[in-house]
Amino acid sequence: MKIDSTAKSLTISIVSLLIFVTAWELVCRLGFIEPLFMPAPSKILFRAIKMIDNGQLIAHTLASTRRVMVGFMISSLVAIPFGIFLGSSRFFMAVFDPLISLLRPLPSMSWIPLSLLWLGITETQKYSIVFMGSFAPSLLYIIEATKSIDPLLIRAAKNLGASKLDVMREVILPGSLPQIIAGLKVMLGIAWTCIISAELVAAREGLGFMIMNGKEYFQTDTVLLGMVMISITVMIIDVVFRKFERRLLPWTR
Amino acid sequence: MDTLTNGTKISIQGVTKIFSGKRDEVIALKELSMDVQDGEFIVIVGASGCGKTTLINLVAGFEAPTHGQIILDGQPVTGITPECGMIFQQYALFPWKTVQQNVEFGMKMKRMPQKERQERAARFIDIVGLKGFERSYPHHLSGGMKQRVSIARSLANDPKVLLLDEPFAALDAMTRQVLQEQLVRIYEKHRKTIIFITHSIDEALLLSSRIVVMTARPGRIAQEIVNDLPHPRNADVQLSNRYMELKRTIWDSVQAEVMKSMEVETH
Repeated sequence: MKIDSTAKSLTISIVSLLIFVTAWELVCRLGFIEPLFMPAPSKILFRAIKMIDNGQLIAHTLASTRRVMVGFMISSLVAIPFGIFLGSSRFFMAVFDPLISLLRPLPSMSWIPLSLLWLGITETQKYSIVFMGSFAPSLLYIIEATKSIDPLLIRAAKNLGASKLDVMREVILPGSLPQIIAGLKVMLGIAWTCIISAELVAAREGLGFMIMNGKEYFQTDTVLLGMVMISITVMIIDVVFRKFERRLLPWTR
Repeated sequence: MDTLTNGTKISIQGVTKIFSGKRDEVIALKELSMDVQDGEFIVIVGASGCGKTTLINLVAGFEAPTHGQIILDGQPVTGITPECGMIFQQYALFPWKTVQQNVEFGMKMKRMPQKERQERAARFIDIVGLKGFERSYPHHLSGGMKQRVSIARSLANDPKVLLLDEPFAALDAMTRQVLQEQLVRIYEKHRKTIIFITHSIDEALLLSSRIVVMTARPGRIAQEIVNDLPHPRNADVQLSNRYMELKRTIWDSVQAEVMKSMEVETH
């Protein structure tokens, strides 16, 4: 029964996608839209085949993915222990609160000029944009996650002889991990916005660069192809992330 | 010194506990004193809200008394101590740890070598009858099984005193009876000092060597009764005249306190 209904929804989704793409194709073929503004799906597909052939599409996609992953990993690896520490210490929370409050509202875009000035058009500059864009919000997610822990579990751990550090490592970290992962999933999406905007402004490769470059040469199909690739890549990463999540949280199964 | 020679394990000395809220203060316990001898099985009975849980939390060191002090083995209790193993009504198992890992927790905190603590945990899992469930996560277990894991976790940590805060209150009658019998067997074998909180007079009579009845808030001791019922406390004992007599005595004093606390609430 369950498989039947899943298959049914999947069929409906595929049909709906086909209708949408066909309608788009027809509207373009019948000349209702100027191809410069909106090329037909078939044009985008031809562009994709051409760019896969000369290796550019893969190169741009991998460049952006690598930047997101490196920046996001560094940001998470710093934010998780720091967030857990702040979530369990009233004193240090008060110390760092003003700084976090100042950093949090800054969009990653606003760091681009400064980062270019400091680091130039380099990979490090790209990583730093992803880091600055995702660190403060990740930190807040993690601090919030630590508050969801049942205080009784902390009490029980201390009663069994756990020190403050033991409580952080053995109770607060695993206890808030489901929420941390949920938060990081959202942050991964934000990391992508960071990198695309950074690449739109200044880069020599990457999907953002590809989109901007396409626009410069009036290749609207390249622009749209770049956008489609962002969607597809984020979707693939989301699936991988979900597999990884199940591995990390065996007790929630 | 003489408290030690008497074999006094815990001495509660003139303890008052006041909780200050924003607008008012609640006196949970007032000048409460009692001694618990080594190897005693004390059951504290009282109406809800009489400060039983507050008292046990003070003994465990979760909270500090406003006045007075609690002495454990001649030393004042100043913080949370693993010497007093606590068993909570809500089990308080770590959901992300298996049964085995939960039972190993206290030993891991003591940095006991892995092999040693695995063997010791296995032994206590066996004692509470959960062999075969070592790799299960708590959410796959029933309430009774969870509480058995919690008991094994405490025992494996080898505390001097076991504190149980209405541990079986959330369980169905049959599971409760099985666990009560299991607890008595464990008590007879390991001779830990036990403080057990309940609002069930039958549970108190079945388990205790001494029963302490607490007054309505502010909590003080209304009555102490040495439970001289013979062991094992089977159906025959539960139908005996002595059992009925003790039950009536306790019920009379608990009832009086319940009435008092209800009057306070309606005013």
